[in-house]
Amino acid sequence: MERLIVNAEGKVVIPPEVIQRRGLRPGDELMLVEAAEGLLVYQGGSDPETAAWWNSLSEDERRLAEVEARRYAALTTEEQDVIWNEEMESIEAAAEGDEVEVPLNKRLA
Amino acid sequence: MYEARVRLALGQPPTMQQAEAANVWSRLRALGIPLHITAQTEHILQRRPAVFATALLMHTRALQKGRYYLRRWARRLRDISFSPEDAIVLAYGSFGLDLQVQRVGVEAIVTNDVKLAANFTTRFNTIQEHFANMVSQLPEPYQELTLPIVVATAEVLAEE
Repeated sequence: MERLIVNAEGKVVIPPEVIQRRGLRPGDELMLVEAAEGLLVYQGGSDPETAAWWNSLSEDERRLAEVEARRYAALTTEEQDVIWNEEMESIEAAAEGDEVEVPLNKRLA
Repeated sequence: MYEARVRLALGQPPTMQQAEAANVWSRLRALGIPLHITAQTEHILQRRPAVFATALLMHTRALQKGRYYLRRWARRLRDISFSPEDAIVLAYGSFGLDLQVQRVGVEAIVTNDVKLAANFTTRFNTIQEHFANMVSQLPEPYQELTLPIVVATAEVLAEE
């Protein structure tokens, strides 16, 4: 965590080591979010791990990803929601029967 | 997470919620904290294109439903005004089984749903009371269980 000071013009300076570590360049866009906890600054683009995932893909995999992404993006929001709500789990007692029995002789962490 | 990768494949930046989730994922992974998903999410991801889903499945462990207690707790949470969808996720947090390490429950549930996190925090004392009452009636190993905390993604990112 870095401590930033707001100057008289309302500007803050991001420490050079953070600039370097995050690969920021002049003109890069950052998002300032007002959250309950305070102000959060998000770097535009992908986080390091998502970027690493993309960089790990071969050319063929990237082409496949693009095709699949276009297919997904062509769905309506409702259709996308259907995908993520498949197999919605019932909490009713009648649905019980697919649970796992824990061996009770083992101490649970 | 999934949709952030979809957008990246389309050459688009993530939305704010996606960026939050992806940054939390990165941070927790960097700290070596094991990440879990529900069995339902695992099944859904297993049916999505592998190019997006495999890496997410590889770095998470799916919690399984523990016999009797998970749904019972979900029903009690519903009675404390949580929706069935939220109740099942919260119940996984308390009674979901990580079979790989024979562990029940998780320490924290991280969510983009600010209302869920706020609702849990507001009603924590009531939830805690019901939870203590329930686990006290269960066999001994379960009596040691504690409630997970529920934190919003923004809270995780705001922490030092």
